[in-house]
Amino acid sequence: MIDSSHRGIVLAQAGVTLPPADPRTQQAKQILAPLSLTLTEQRIAIIGANGSGKSTLLRLLNGLLLPTTGTVSVNGRSTHTDAAAVRRSVGFVFTDPLSQLVMPTPQEDLELSLRRQKLGKKERRDKALAILGGYGLEHLAQSSIYELSGGERQLTALATVLAVDPDILVLDEPSTLLDLRNTRQLMQRLTDLPQQVIMSTHDLSLAATFDRALVIEQGQVAFDGDPHQAISAYRELAG
Amino acid sequence: MRGHAFMVAGYIPGSSLIHRTPLALKAALLFAVAVLCLASPLISVLVGALTTTATLVLVVVAHFVASLSWQRMWRAVRMMLIFLVLIAAYQWWQHGPLTAWQVIAAIVATVLASNVLTATTPVDELLDGLAALVKPLQRFGADPERFSLTVALMLRSIPFVIGAFSDVRDAARARGLERNLLARSLPVVIATVGYARATGEALAARGLGDPEPRDVEHDGGSLT
Repeated sequence: MIDSSHRGIVLAQAGVTLPPADPRTQQAKQILAPLSLTLTEQRIAIIGANGSGKSTLLRLLNGLLLPTTGTVSVNGRSTHTDAAAVRRSVGFVFTDPLSQLVMPTPQEDLELSLRRQKLGKKERRDKALAILGGYGLEHLAQSSIYELSGGERQLTALATVLAVDPDILVLDEPSTLLDLRNTRQLMQRLTDLPQQVIMSTHDLSLAATFDRALVIEQGQVAFDGDPHQAISAYRELAG
Repeated sequence: MRGHAFMVAGYIPGSSLIHRTPLALKAALLFAVAVLCLASPLISVLVGALTTTATLVLVVVAHFVASLSWQRMWRAVRMMLIFLVLIAAYQWWQHGPLTAWQVIAAIVATVLASNVLTATTPVDELLDGLAALVKPLQRFGADPERFSLTVALMLRSIPFVIGAFSDVRDAARARGLERNLLARSLPVVIATVGYARATGEALAARGLGDPEPRDVEHDGGSLT
């Protein structure tokens, strides 16, 4: 079993620096300054301007990106040395659901997620349909993912990630492409989740409802703490 | 460009006889089509041409029994039309019209037969079939799940690459660069690499595609 002292995500001087495309004329570019954080709260919001490093930080959390300095560990497992286990325990939802869905239909994509559970064919199919039904998407089970609306796609993407039963859910601006109704529906889903949720967002009223908020500015943590204070700090930074 | 993915491949839900046929039988028939088309000319050119023509007719019949559209068949043929014309011309010149017809009919029959199989079989069932096929190799270290997933993703990437070619050709035309080989090929390579990376990330986002742990618990494993 995992030692309870290892629960959560720990970044130890984790930073990301991109090598120059042409070392003769360019310098290495720091995307994320080395930072140390322990993320244990149930719901954590990441806010900041476009290009500030939010997505880079989120990608470090499930090993989609490895830090060029320092380490990231999830429930005691390093993203460097135990990447597969980390990926199995941290689900990641992209901004664009079309980047998430790899199969032609929602049902097939969900069945792909469920393959790890070693279910029989019929059981897997029934479970996929049941999950889609839970999201009100059962009638779209065999539709092409290109025929779904943005909201339906994002809910499908969320369903496919949650179907693998991750311990932690990381979302990179999941509501950016959604209208108000779909955003509310998505957020309602997230509120009900038992998993730890770490999400970047530009929706400050939503961020205010979280347990903790980080403000990222030019690759550094400009504020870390109470969400209301974080929003004030972000507004000050934005001018 | 990913929008092209739904145009040329993928499962078409249905309840036709072909849809209800077990995957193993469909795969065996596909194999039989390939064998008939490739081996029959060894007997004689005439036997080869007649056998291949009959096989092609049966494949076309199967296509319509599966309730697939003319458009889908035409799209499959259109994708390889240039190559078919070049091959036919060469074969006619080297071996005569009968051989040219046999070769072209063989290619079309095989492609259409595989098209019927993928159109009437859900991806998940294909994955199961491929995994079962590779399972005997597990004792030599093969991972059937990863193998089947790799093949399925490869099949899924073909329409994307075709779509990328089409989009890049249109973009090159819009700028008067339709004869510029670099302008027509480099963006396809970049887009394809980008697609491959995105697909890898999409799998990683769900923890899929990694070797299954042998000694850990389902909840993601243990440290002890």
